[in-house]
Formats: sequence, C-alpha cells, structure tokens
Amino acid sequence: MINVKKLTKRFTPEKGLFDLNFEVKKGEVFGYIGPNGAGKSTTIRHLMGFMKPDDGGSTINDLDCWAKSAEVQKLIGYLPGEIVFLEGMNGLDFLNLMQKMRKQNVPQKRDELIERFQLDVKTPIRKMSKGMKQKVGIIAAFMHDPEVLILDEPTSGLDPLMQRVFIDLILEEKQRNKTILMSSHSFQEIERTCDSAGIIKDGRLVALEDIHSLRTVQRRVFEVKVKKESDVETIRQSQLQTEVMGKKTVHITVQGNDQEFVQLLSHCEVEHVDTRPQDLEDIFMHYYDRKEVVK
Amino acid sequence: MSWPLYSSMMKSHAKMLGGFIYGAVAYIVLIIWIYPSIADMKGFNDMINALPEGMRKLIGMENGINSLADYIAGEFYGMLFLIILMVYVILTSTRLMARLVDQGSMAYLLATPNSRLKIAATQAAVIITGLALIVAFTTLSGIAASEWLISGYELDVASFVTLNVLTFLIFLVIAGYCFFISSSFNDEKKALGISAGLTLFFYMLNMAGKLSEDTEWLLNFTIFKLYDPIKMINNETDALLTGTMLVMAALVLFGGSLVVFKKRNLPL
Repeated sequence: MINVKKLTKRFTPEKGLFDLNFEVKKGEVFGYIGPNGAGKSTTIRHLMGFMKPDDGGSTINDLDCWAKSAEVQKLIGYLPGEIVFLEGMNGLDFLNLMQKMRKQNVPQKRDELIERFQLDVKTPIRKMSKGMKQKVGIIAAFMHDPEVLILDEPTSGLDPLMQRVFIDLILEEKQRNKTILMSSHSFQEIERTCDSAGIIKDGRLVALEDIHSLRTVQRRVFEVKVKKESDVETIRQSQLQTEVMGKKTVHITVQGNDQEFVQLLSHCEVEHVDTRPQDLEDIFMHYYDRKEVVK
Repeated sequence: MSWPLYSSMMKSHAKMLGGFIYGAVAYIVLIIWIYPSIADMKGFNDMINALPEGMRKLIGMENGINSLADYIAGEFYGMLFLIILMVYVILTSTRLMARLVDQGSMAYLLATPNSRLKIAATQAAVIITGLALIVAFTTLSGIAASEWLISGYELDVASFVTLNVLTFLIFLVIAGYCFFISSSFNDEKKALGISAGLTLFFYMLNMAGKLSEDTEWLLNFTIFKLYDPIKMINNETDALLTGTMLVMAALVLFGGSLVVFKKRNLPL
C-alpha cells in the first residue's frame, strides 16, 4: 500500500534522507522509529506530498505522493507531529470544516470518536491544552474512515489512560484491515501495536524487521537490588552481562535471554527489580553500531 | 475554489475586514460632510496656490479645490484611502498564505483532497473579495453622503465609479505581488517585511517623482504612477486602457503565485 523507493532528499550533505526503501503492505501496522531529528517527519512530509524528493519517490496505492498528492489524500488520514489548527475556531468548527473539505457529511464516526476521547469540542482551539489538541488531531485523522493512516508521534501529550484508548483504536483499525504507519521515538509504544518496524538514524534506515525479531535484539537493562552481598557475587559469576553499581545493586543487561535472567534471579533474594529507561541507541546498539542499511 | 474553506476563511477574516470598511466609510462620509465649509471659505484656494508646485502635487491639490469631485479625489483617494488599502492588502496577503505555512496549519488544508492550486486560489479569492468589499462600501457611502448629507454640490456618479474601479484594480495588482511574495516564503515576518518594504518603496518613488521635474523619471518605476485620482475622476485618463493593463498584471501575478505555491517544498 505504502511504497518508499530510493527516497532521497538532501538538505545538507549530512542532513536529509538518503536512499530510503521500505514498504507497508495492506492491513499492516508499521512502526517508524528513530531519535529526534533522524528524518521521521521528513519522510512523512514526502508521503503527504508537502516535499518534492531529490531522487526516488514514494507511492500510496500506486499513486505518486508528490505528483498526485490531492488524489492520495482521499485515502489518507493524517496526524501531524506538530498540530496547529486554523485560528479563531473551536474544535467542532474545525472538524466540520475538515469534513466539508473532504466532501463528507456522515458525522457518526466523528461523534463516536469525540465520545470515546471525552473531548469537549466547544472549546476554542487557542484555549486547548496540548493533550486536547492531540485528541482533536486524532479525531480529524480517523473520522473519515481512511484506508491508510499516517500518524506522526500520535501519543505525545496524551495521558496514560488516553494512550490506552488510542492503542485500542489502532488495534481495532488493524482488525478492519487498515494500513497504518506511525512514527515514534519510543520502542515500547510501537511494540504494542505494530507488526513490523523500521529504525531510522541520520536519514538512513538502519533496520527493517518484524516486531518479533526486534524484540529479541532489544537490550534492556535491569537494576536489581539484592538482600545479601553474596548474591551480588552469584550474579557476577553468571553468563549475563553485569555491572556492579553499589554494594547490593547490579545492572544486568538482557538481550533475548530473558529465561536465563529469570533463572539467575531465582537463586538470589531479590529486594527490588526495575528497568532503566533508555534511548533507542542503547536498545538497538546492535543496529546503530553496524551503521549500515539492512534490506 | 473550495467553498467550505472560502466561507470559513471569510468568517475568521470578517472582524478585520469590518474594521477596515468602517474606517474607510467613516472617513469618506466625514470628509464629504465638511466640504461645504471648506468650499465656502474665502481665500482657501489662494492659500493652496501659494504653496510650491511640487508640494501641491504631493497633497493632491494641483489646481486648488474647484469641485466636490476634485476634493474627494485629492483628499481621500490621494492620501488616506491609499494608506488604508495598502495596509489591508499587505496584512491580509501575508496572513492568508505565509502565516499558515509558518505556523503549520496549512498542513491540514493540504491533507484534504484539494490540490494546492485549489487551496491557493481559494485564499486569493478571499483577499480579492475583501478588497472589493472595501471599495464597494466606500463607493456607495461616498455617493450616499454627497447625495443626502450636503446640498448644492453635485458629484458625477459615473466618473466617481470609474475612479473606484481603477482604484480597486491598482490595489488588485499590489495585492497580486504581495500574494506572490506570501506564497513564496515560509516565514511570515519575512513575507510581511518584503511586501511592506516593496510597497513603501514604490510609494516613496511616487512622492519623489512628483516633487520636481528633475525627479519625474522615477515615476516610471512605480505602480503608483498609474494612480492619479484627480485625473481619473475628471476622466482625463484612458480608463479602459489602464484598466485592461491592470487586470492583465493582476492575472499574471495571482497565476504566478499559484504556480509558485504548487511547485515548492513546504516545511509542514
């Protein structure tokens, strides 16, 4: 459904997109992961037809995203990374305008979504919080029941409860065979919904795999606090990669060998286990070190 | 044209437009209302004639005040209306394109199945409508005021309308290049600065050109050369020719804006 081929856009020799290739099949949910400034939004801008590629290009449903952008838009629901609405309107005015500009006048899905996200649509947009704007944006993206959804960091600004509502929504749309591309800078978010993912760094795709294989290469660091100092010794003796942080605290790195980790801990008296939040480079050191495009 | 966008834009634009219309209408009514007292004032024309010629040209009173038409054309169309329309056209053209791109809300408009050409054409229609409304309201209240507010002084409606149509067309061209600038830039402030700077530059050339015969050549580089309200209202210009030229120029400029906007990269 979404096809990106040799997409290249040079802003400077180092910044931009370089020879990007990936495909999202119909009914698939694709996670697009990368740190800030890696080129996620730039790729999405090309898919939306806001930018003209220097080389290569992208198609949605075999329509070129630049040359046929207005036609492509019929298929797409779009959530921008940075949401800015027109001035001097309230939420409902805006949603109505969007529907009219799409020549659609079936409000059921819209009202259902408003209900679901518990949005007060009469609030003037300039008085809306980040989270409220995000909700309006999500509703605007889903309300015309598009075939393809392009979502740029969809959960930013939402509280955990609303994130849950959003994830359920994605899973439902997936059931209905919709094609979804969503970007994120957090693997955890992608993990829960996506079938496959691409990892982008400095404008280059460094990995393109299904979620299962990404999970096995994902590195997680656990901070384990034990009761006895002898347990620290037991842990250090193991095959796992460990680092002693304090008298009774050890950092254990787990990468696909969760079983061993649990067995090891079963020999110790554990007081506290916690995962440490990490950035993408740490989670996927494996890919970032190699620095080459996996096809 | 996308009608839903057009009506929504006109709605959010209404307040500002209303302000400009109110300002123009109030001023033209006021100026017509005080005309009898100026016309009756003895020695007023002597005073004007005592001024150096360049000065008289500048304030639009080359021959003093001989008729209501001259007076309206010189006092209102030559100065205040010019400024009102300049400000309106510059501000509005920047708001309609560059501002939406700068802030990012253009992304939502383009995320609907309407082509860039259609969106830009709709925005152009908004500024053209606004300009037409200001001139139309001013024309009507000018005619009404000279008809009912004062007595004993005649205003030739046909030539007054000609003046207004030509004024509209001149500012349509100015709106055209401002809109072109607004369509080409990502930065609202930059677009505003360049539009305002260029227009002001044209206006200064016009002033300098009228000051003396040595500087008259400067007039060839400014659009305001075509704008001479007193000659226009006295039918001393070839309205048809000037009008046609202006329409052509406006078409080229607005058309160019659409093409530029269609072809460029947008940082949305």
